[in-house]
Amino acid sequence: MKKIDIKFILNGEPVELTVAPNHTALRVIREQLDLTGAKEGCGAGECGACTIIVDGLAVNSCLMLAPELDGKNVLTVEGLAHDGKLTDVQQAFIDHVALQCGYCTPGFIMSTTAFLEENKKPTREEIEIALSGNLCRCTGYKRIIEAVEDVVAKRGGK
Amino acid sequence: MREFEYVAPKTVKEVINLLASYKEKATVLAGGTDVVVRLRDEIIEPEFVVDIKHVDELKGIKFDKSSGLFVGALATMHEIENDKNVKEFYPYYADACGHVGSKQVRNKATSVGNLCTASPLGDSLTPMFCLDAIVVIEGPKGKREVPVREFITFVRKTVLERDELVLGIKMPYIEGLKGIYTKNARRHEVDLSNIVATICKVNDEYRIAYGSVAPTPIRLVKTEEFLKGKKIDDKVIEEAENILESEISPISDLRATKEYRISVSKSILKNSLKALNN
Repeated sequence: MKKIDIKFILNGEPVELTVAPNHTALRVIREQLDLTGAKEGCGAGECGACTIIVDGLAVNSCLMLAPELDGKNVLTVEGLAHDGKLTDVQQAFIDHVALQCGYCTPGFIMSTTAFLEENKKPTREEIEIALSGNLCRCTGYKRIIEAVEDVVAKRGGK
Repeated sequence: MREFEYVAPKTVKEVINLLASYKEKATVLAGGTDVVVRLRDEIIEPEFVVDIKHVDELKGIKFDKSSGLFVGALATMHEIENDKNVKEFYPYYADACGHVGSKQVRNKATSVGNLCTASPLGDSLTPMFCLDAIVVIEGPKGKREVPVREFITFVRKTVLERDELVLGIKMPYIEGLKGIYTKNARRHEVDLSNIVATICKVNDEYRIAYGSVAPTPIRLVKTEEFLKGKKIDDKVIEEAENILESEISPISDLRATKEYRISVSKSILKNSLKALNN
């Protein structure tokens, strides 16, 4: 099996890497790049724990083969905070205690981050639909939805 | 996941040449939301994965009233559900694409991939069946066009040869056609359908396509024939429901029983006919 050389932008920095084609993007990000924010839950695109943002869109990194990262602009949860300052989405999840065990949280943060770029004034229903690809087995979702609504309100959406 | 060689050609011609030399050893990768799961579970074990996402010719969605809609093989569910022309002229198709999986899945999954997967419950397929979409295929011998009803032959089986690639699908524009897409599942989002249907009305004729009621999505031609020209009232709907039942052959599985699927199919027919005649 021929390994593949890829180049892409990861959290604002250019990365050059040699990857095995039968590894997923998630595996490369976690095991070759040591960024363990994105998690593997189901490995089949149902739970969203592996969500990353590729060229502005939230995707399941478990459903992406490593070579598919070539030429992409990739953002993981590790790329959000700058100089120790969290983004408003991250801060809202803390303020609302929108997490318990935390396993799903990076996925929710990434889905929310991408979604609020696309829809700046979402309704509660739109938020629920946008986040329906992220499963949380602890919170019951209420606090997560409230955290997102808080971000919308503070950004002046409502 | 087993080992395989990954290739990313840039033109349709290169793709066809690769497929012609690899034949059954190759799997085509588009969005990957189905293929990667099957690779991971080792349901498929190709020696070559041919990623077509770098083929620019396969991108995009085109529309004009005379030639209708053309959905390229790489158009994602996200692109289709947000396309201005699809939303205006094929809203039931936009709806269907918007009900596939999750947002993350729709950002990668393609409608043509959904077609080639040929699942009986493919979410974006019933609109294609209603419109008698044409599947545009290219192979070593050139292009050919296949009506969608002939393209899918059985559960996960199509007429596509190993050295052929679907370039896209054509859906005619039909003046005055109205359609309703309905998906019934255990959960509103991110679930496989128990029943999926698109019902269209144009003038006094109906086009009725159901998924998850037979080995392939189907058109209910007898029900359509019965309804042609009829004024829709409760008695007509009841008769239509009985004809519908004779045309479908759903199974019981972990998602729903056969009886439930029949009942839901009838409800969808009733609700859609009422809404289309309102």
